Amino acid sequence: MIYSDIALNAVFLAVVLDLFLLKSQMMTRGIFWLTYFLILPFQLLTNWWLTSNEIVMYSLSDITGQRLAGAPIEDLLFGFSMILLTISAWEFFKKRSSSKKN
Amino acid sequence: MENLHYAYVLIFVAICAIGVNFGFKLKFSKKLKLFLLTDSLILVTYLTWDFWAVSKGSWFFDSNQILGILLFGKLPIEEVLFFIIVPLMTVLTYLALVKLTGWGRTKEGSDDLL
Repeated sequence: MIYSDIALNAVFLAVVLDLFLLKSQMMTRGIFWLTYFLILPFQLLTNWWLTSNEIVMYSLSDITGQRLAGAPIEDLLFGFSMILLTISAWEFFKKRSSSKKN
Repeated sequence: MENLHYAYVLIFVAICAIGVNFGFKLKFSKKLKLFLLTDSLILVTYLTWDFWAVSKGSWFFDSNQILGILLFGKLPIEEVLFFIIVPLMTVLTYLALVKLTGWGRTKEGSDDLL
């Protein structure tokens, strides 16, 4: 279940970066969750396309086997971590570039 | 056309991105530097994971449904583009929602500084 473990760690890493290192703290803001839940159905759609056509396939020993819209449930963790990290990093760099200019 | 199957996903997301950028007048071209900084973090993190997982065989790709250009001899070029286009769409969705709802705007109105 190596994908499961890494995906969990990715979420953990993204949360720690967001809350404590980049300090964007997007997780505490409604706008982040609104963005996430708008993107989620599109993630499921692309996941479904990629997995139901067997464009990407998974080693069965590396996943839990639980699937959603064709894709391993772990993909939800991966997707969440990437969306959080993207917006958190965006806000971090934005803050940094605007404080430099002031 | 079978080898475009993965690429269709990227084209679909790219079309959405262009639509959202112009539809919401987000002027993304002025924010490219900020996006490059953001995406470099994503690319390093997720391509490392991807490369490692593909090397281990955790996941693999149907060679008939990808373009066939491999990075480091392993990663389909589509994976690299995925980690550029999807974060791009994520940021555009976020910016469009900030504009639409007025939530999450910073007090200084630093939107204009970029």
